Amino acid sequence: MTDRHAKEPYIILRDVRKGYRIGGEAIPIFANLDLEIPRGDFVAIMGPSGSGKSTLLNMLAGVESPDAGEIKIGSARLDRMGETARSAWRAHNMGIVFQFYNLLPMLSAAENVELPLLLKPIPAKERRIRVGKVLDLVGLAGREKQYPTLMSGGQQQRVGIARAIVADPDLLLCDEPTGDLDRNSADDVLDMLRLLNRELGKSIVMVTHDPQAALYARRTLHLDKGRFVEKKRAA
Amino acid sequence: MSSTLKQTLVMTRANLLSLPRRFAIAASMALSVALVVCVLAGFLSMAAGFEKALKSAGSSTVAVILGGGTNQENGSDVPADVIRTIEARRGDIGAVRDTAGNLVSSREIVVPVEMADDQAGVEKILALRGMDPIGPSLRDGVTLTAGRFTKPGAREVVVGERIATEFPSLAVGKQVRLGSVNWRVVGHFSSAGSAFESELWADLDAVHSAFDQLGEVQSVRLRLDGTGAIERLKTALGGITTTPLIVVTEADLYAAQSSGTANLIRMFGWPVALLMALGATAGALNTMMSSVSDRTIEIATVRALGFSRLSAFVATWAEAMVLAVVGVSIGLVASRFLFSGWQASTIGTNNTSIAFELTLSEDVMLTAGLLGLAIGAIGGALPAFSATRLPLTAALRARG
Repeated sequence: MTDRHAKEPYIILRDVRKGYRIGGEAIPIFANLDLEIPRGDFVAIMGPSGSGKSTLLNMLAGVESPDAGEIKIGSARLDRMGETARSAWRAHNMGIVFQFYNLLPMLSAAENVELPLLLKPIPAKERRIRVGKVLDLVGLAGREKQYPTLMSGGQQQRVGIARAIVADPDLLLCDEPTGDLDRNSADDVLDMLRLLNRELGKSIVMVTHDPQAALYARRTLHLDKGRFVEKKRAA
Repeated sequence: MSSTLKQTLVMTRANLLSLPRRFAIAASMALSVALVVCVLAGFLSMAAGFEKALKSAGSSTVAVILGGGTNQENGSDVPADVIRTIEARRGDIGAVRDTAGNLVSSREIVVPVEMADDQAGVEKILALRGMDPIGPSLRDGVTLTAGRFTKPGAREVVVGERIATEFPSLAVGKQVRLGSVNWRVVGHFSSAGSAFESELWADLDAVHSAFDQLGEVQSVRLRLDGTGAIERLKTALGGITTTPLIVVTEADLYAAQSSGTANLIRMFGWPVALLMALGATAGALNTMMSSVSDRTIEIATVRALGFSRLSAFVATWAEAMVLAVVGVSIGLVASRFLFSGWQASTIGTNNTSIAFELTLSEDVMLTAGLLGLAIGAIGGALPAFSATRLPLTAALRARG
């Protein structure tokens, strides 16, 4: 990823408002939230519980809509899309890495990784080749037929990452990707994310509680009471 | 293969492969469907068996003449002078004549007789049919399986196979007390499982004298001669008495008798089966809701990856249908073992017992099977819809 790309705004949030209504009581999460993330950036989002990290990630993933404001990723205005359109957009442009891996236990590693490719008109042979390549990339070559239940947490998360990148999306959203892993496995996963960012140019937004995980990102945004506080540091 | 189809197939496969995780509740759904199928198949095969027994007894080439304004043998009375008038008719009246020009006919009467069921230890009312010697030959498909037919005037009976099997005391050569006199069993006959096999046949004069019903005739059977014969016979016999005679083919007579009882069985069977189906549908709904709940994370995950709502719907619905198909299969196989060849009996129109065999026909299996599938289709639809409405946020923070 080049610096030229890094300056190009890729994710734009403008005047985003979002709140929930619980038992008739309005609970505001964001009021006029603004954010710009350049293409090819690797951003860690940290903050205390209730600061809005999950809500932000959900809105970026398009699984929740803002009450008002603009959410633009690339040329797509997620806030203007219906759920079906967002779903289709997500399938082609975004990979998601879940905290608890969210692998389908009855499918093999290869079958789990193949899932996003089923959404595209790719022949079976080509799908198998791509699945093999990404499993190789995450260090799981030869484990195509292994089932998630027989894998360690770190291995499962690597399958999760392979699934997230197999369709070659521009953006990876990572929700506490190391939250369920020991330190060594966490470092392996974070190394992999850094590699994907630096070598393959993937834009990555990672929500984490772990300050050490945040060190792998190019920058960390601190979210507190629905507002960002940016702390810059050397990449 | 389209993307939607691929998504649907992979989700359906994942659903079905996850079934062992919820084996107990999935099995309970399949078994409740099986039970409904079994119950409905039982009632319908009973109705079908009864219908088959009566309908196969009736021949379309035999006419039955009834008198006294009734369309059943029970209560019918064909006076002797009317019989003489019929026999005196010359020319083509639609009935077959013998070489001497006499009508091939049998005068008949049915007398209810009590018979102790040796095995069940209860009394049953059986039909003792008195008939002219030509009577047995007017029944299509009747064959002697043991002994011989009765001799004119003798106190002898031949016994239908079904009741012969049920009553050991009706073995060939035994004496049996019917009414106030003893009768000798001289033969057994079969008629392909028809209602005739529930009767005892004797000579008409012997029945008249034994039951003090001299001259009484309930019906006259005639062999019809060619096509349109029944209409020619009706025309020929019209206006013979002030009370019109009823002339029907034997097939129509038994069809009319069978439809009432068969419909009664169905009228009882369907509400019971539907009520059970309602319960099974609630069970299916519960099972599939549990399935959706069990797979919340998986469904939300693939939906978050971009899978369509349709694939989530079809995959869940397909699971319900697969369980229903399993239930239907179990139900039909169990029905085959339970009901095929099972003997039952009921009271017929002559107030006598009619034995019949339950018939698990293709129609019966199809109807019961479709009800089972409907349980799956209806019980699975709402949970399938709810699967499409799962919040995707469930996937992002849920422990898989």
